[in-house]
Order: sequence, then C-alpha cells, then structure tokens
Amino acid sequence: MAAGTRVESMPEDCLSHVLSFASPTDACRSSAVSAAFRDAADSDLVWENFLPSDYPEIISRSVSPVEFSSKKDLFRRLSFPEIVELVMVCWLEIHGRIDISMLSPNTSYGAYLIIQLLDRAFGLDTVLCEVSIEIGDHRMQRPIHLTRDKCRGEGSGVSRKGEEDVVRTRGDGWLEVELGEFYNNGREKEVKMWFRETKGVHLKGGLLVEGIELRPIE
Amino acid sequence: MARKNRNPVGKNVDPEAQKKKTRTLTLKSSDGQEFSISESAAVLSIAIENMVEDDCAGGVIPLPLVDGGTLARVITYLNKHAEDGASDEEKRKFDEEFVSGMEMGVLFDVVLAANYLDIRGLLREVRRRIADRMKNKSVEWVRKTFHIESDFTPEEEEQMKKEFAWAWEGVDSDVDD
Repeated sequence: MAAGTRVESMPEDCLSHVLSFASPTDACRSSAVSAAFRDAADSDLVWENFLPSDYPEIISRSVSPVEFSSKKDLFRRLSFPEIVELVMVCWLEIHGRIDISMLSPNTSYGAYLIIQLLDRAFGLDTVLCEVSIEIGDHRMQRPIHLTRDKCRGEGSGVSRKGEEDVVRTRGDGWLEVELGEFYNNGREKEVKMWFRETKGVHLKGGLLVEGIELRPIE
Repeated sequence: MARKNRNPVGKNVDPEAQKKKTRTLTLKSSDGQEFSISESAAVLSIAIENMVEDDCAGGVIPLPLVDGGTLARVITYLNKHAEDGASDEEKRKFDEEFVSGMEMGVLFDVVLAANYLDIRGLLREVRRRIADRMKNKSVEWVRKTFHIESDFTPEEEEQMKKEFAWAWEGVDSDVDD
C-alpha cells in the first residue's frame, strides 16, 4: 500500500495529532500540501498546542477586543502584531499604558518603542521628539533626536555624538527608542508612555511602528 | 495513569497480574498471520484490553486493520514495555531506536495501527517522529514522500504562500533522505 493511500485513510484527527508535534511554521506550511492536510493543519487541536497556556488571560488584557475565527487565527494575531505605517502627519503622538499588576513587583523596567524609519522617511528629524513615561506622580521626559543614520549604523548599537543611548538598533532591522525606565514598587496602578513630536507642525512620515516593548532591566 | 495492570513489578505481587503474565493471547493480522503474546503485554493496547475484558477474546483475536509486518513491530513494542524490570530510561531508549530506522510508509502503518489499537505511548512516539521528519521540509517534499497529489490550483497555492510567507522562510532544499 502506498503511503499516499495511507494518508487518505488516516482519520483527520490523526494527521492533526501528528502536526501538533510539528513547529507552527511546519504546520502552517503543510496546509498547502493538499485539502486533507489543510483541514488537519488548520484544526484547533493543532494550534491550541502552540498557544501559550495562559492565552485566555492574555486576550482578556487586550484594550481592544481580540476577535478570532480559529485558534490558528488567534495564534497569528498574538504572534504577528499588525504593524502601523505612518504615511504622513503633522501631529505625531503615540502613547501606551499598561496595568502594572501584570509586571513583577520590585523590579525595574525599561519601555521601548519599536520602529523602523523607511528610506522615504521625512520630517522626523527636523525638530526634537519627546519621550516620556509616567508612573503614579512620577513623570520623566526627555528630548530625543530621531535620525535615519541610526538605523543604518547596525552593530554599533550606540548613537553617535555621545548622545544618550536612547535609540538602538536591534539587529533585526528594527530600532528601539527608549521611552524611559521605571521601578515597579507594587503600589502604583498604571504606567503611561509617550512618544511625540507636536511642536513642529510640518509634515512628517515614513515611520513604521510595531509597538511598545517592556522588559526588566538590571 | 493508574490502571490495574500497571502495578510496579515486584512490589506487591498481584495474583491477577501474575496470571496475565503467564496467559497468552493470539493476535491475527489482516493477512492471516498469527502471533502469540502475553496478556500483560497485549493489554497495553486499550482496544485489546477492552476485548479481553468483554470476553470476546475466545482464543484468537482478529485484527483486520493491521497487516502482519506492522503487527510484528507493534508486538515488539508491547513486549518491551511489558518487560519485567525494564527501566523508564531503557524504554525511552528503546522507543527512540524503535522508530528511528522506520521509513515514512512504515511510520504511517504503525501510527494507524497504534491509533486503531489505542496504544498511547506508541502513538505519541510515532506522531512525534513523523512531525520531526517534516521539519523544514518543502511542500513538494511532503507531497512526494507521502505520495499525495495536490488538489489546489497554482493560484490557490500562491495565495497561501503569500498569506503565510513567514512559514516558507528557512525551508530546506529538497534532498532525499
């Protein structure tokens, strides 16, 4: 009996079980093999395995409701956040906030805006931008200079001119702009973060924004 | 999973477990081959255990969905896992070697048999092995290896490739192995 007839005789959930041992990329790619594979590879049985076990909690934290048609769809939404391209604006303001109870207490965190400056970026380095972070009554803000050569200067990791190290290349094509650091003493409720350039009302654009990343620092 | 026939050997001697070890069953494959196996090994298959419990195992147990070659392999697995004094480590090593030499077609036969006979440990092992073999393999490799004809149009395929481009990164070039 040829392997092909065996696959056809295989109950769909049997193939799904096999694919649940594969990686998300292998499982996803296998859906292009045939309709039978696609049915097996798209099943919730497969993708449930790839989701973090606390995914219902992750979804419940989202500010905007997370809608998904299947576990595969949900995986994609959680893994590949949509990227926003700023085409052209004159008033630029990005802000984020997070419930601090989701972070570890008695830990210092850094907040970073993950961006890319496209080749056709313009107007972003005319005026200094401003980053700030607010926790409880504490607020920290500082100016930063966003220039394109920083995304080219891969490897060096430190911006030139001895400017504070607030814009770093990540080596994956993205830049991270440090919005600030804060200490979670366990008593505050919320952290707010901003990146803005609202002083120069000239047009600017060519900025890709992935999101804000928070991570503990030493 | 606590089941009555899984008492650790040598701890308390369950007379029923002892009987199972000495009692033999005959399994008959789809192509008429007959195999003897101790009842204690055979009942690691939930399906066979149910048949024995329901007492439909009057002499020979026919397994019309499993061919002789596959059944022989499955019996090797069951015997090892029912063996007195085989440590978990030893069984793990056995499992690894048991599936490592199998061709894809054989793995399929075994996974189908394990599914039908409901042998959880074996199912896990073989499923994992098949998934391992597919790691980083192209869509064409999977089709060729599994002898599957695509039932998608080139346009549909292109669409999937576009939509899930991330899943096509880092795919190995096709080599026969």
